[in-house]
Amino acid sequence: MTFSEKIPVVIIACKVMQSMLEQLIPDQLLQQAVFMDYGLHRVPAKMTQELQDTIDDLNDPSLVVLGYGLCGNGLDGIMAGKHTLLIPKVDDCIAILLGSRQAYIREFSAVPGTYYLSKGWLESGSHPLKEYEEYAQKFGAEEAAWIMDQQYRNYDRLAMVAHSQSDLEKYRPQALEVARYCEKWGMRYEEILGSDRYVRRLLEIIDQPDQSDNEFVIVPPGGKIRQEMFWDFQVQPRK
Amino acid sequence: MSEIYEQLATGILEGNVPKIPELVQKALDDGLKADDILSNGLVVGMNEVGVRFKSGAMFIPEVLKSAQAMHAGQEVLRQLLAESGSAFSGKIVLGTVKGDLHDIGKNLVGMLCEGAGFEVIDLGFNVEPEKFTEAIKNHQPDIVGMSALLTTTMRAMGYTIKAIEEAGLRDKVKVMVGGAPVDSDFAERIGADGYGHNAVSGSELAKKLIGAA
Repeated sequence: MTFSEKIPVVIIACKVMQSMLEQLIPDQLLQQAVFMDYGLHRVPAKMTQELQDTIDDLNDPSLVVLGYGLCGNGLDGIMAGKHTLLIPKVDDCIAILLGSRQAYIREFSAVPGTYYLSKGWLESGSHPLKEYEEYAQKFGAEEAAWIMDQQYRNYDRLAMVAHSQSDLEKYRPQALEVARYCEKWGMRYEEILGSDRYVRRLLEIIDQPDQSDNEFVIVPPGGKIRQEMFWDFQVQPRK
Repeated sequence: MSEIYEQLATGILEGNVPKIPELVQKALDDGLKADDILSNGLVVGMNEVGVRFKSGAMFIPEVLKSAQAMHAGQEVLRQLLAESGSAFSGKIVLGTVKGDLHDIGKNLVGMLCEGAGFEVIDLGFNVEPEKFTEAIKNHQPDIVGMSALLTTTMRAMGYTIKAIEEAGLRDKVKVMVGGAPVDSDFAERIGADGYGHNAVSGSELAKKLIGAA
């Protein structure tokens, strides 16, 4: 008996993953899926509360698949209640877009000062160019430029990530517009072809949870998500 | 009397950069002490900025403006604070940890500590554990403050404390940590001496850690 046959499977995911999930997950799962607003991670405590409320609203004990990473520790402290939680063991959605933790570690170590762009963020206007335009309207161009400098001057790279070549090509013009704006800080533009591997693995685990491994975190009923579950190894305290 | 403190705090909250130095000067002319103007007016306002930012009621642009106003106010008081000897004679090394490029919060802590009289050595961002230990050897600070914005990089705080321990320097400094994903549990877990909820808490903690608060 698999999860999907035994108990309902409910996916609660950030909108950034919506198009990827819509392409890959079966319709019956998609129907129950809940896609939450972008940017909840900006106030992690709010993200925790909103996700908790959404989980608690589910009537029947379910396998709740969270389409999130730790996301600024927004997941930390969320209680499973009567449900079982299944989460990719990642810090944020970049690893999911890239297809694996290894890919994430590879990119992160190579260029820590990377601002990642995705189709979802471009569509929602979550990128430096849009931010500048909003500030310019509100505070004037000079002030806006200064504010942007404070936030972005340390970055080295603007990386557009998509899990298919066709998406990369489709969104390239928009990404390049953002890249042109970001040139002032010496940010170079790169495209990274991600992969749907992580999502496909997630679907496998939904079907056969006993196949779960170091790429996923499972929290049983009554349990609580703790950030330590997402670390590779423990940091020993001094005392 | 307290009205001017309120006006100062409000001016900070509103990021009113031109008004703050005027208000500070007025407060001084009214006979108020530089220390009190700083603590009861400017710092109170900046602390409220931190609280609102953390709860999502204020955003980076407004925080940056408030910081500018704070800086302007501190500049008026700088000489007076130094003369009156009320400044804290402490030395603090600050840095954003390895892999992390975010430095607005750290810069704010630096500004506030400097305004309080600390000597601030800012190592910048993406600072390797070895660079922290080197700075401790070279500068003999009282405090080391580390900042991180990402769950991916906050773990480097633990490694940095380990590096400080391995260099035999852990007992020579107090370590404080802060940043959006950090909390007091994490600080305790990695053996830090304290955690700053926002930039003002960080600077107040620094004062406490050198026993000067």
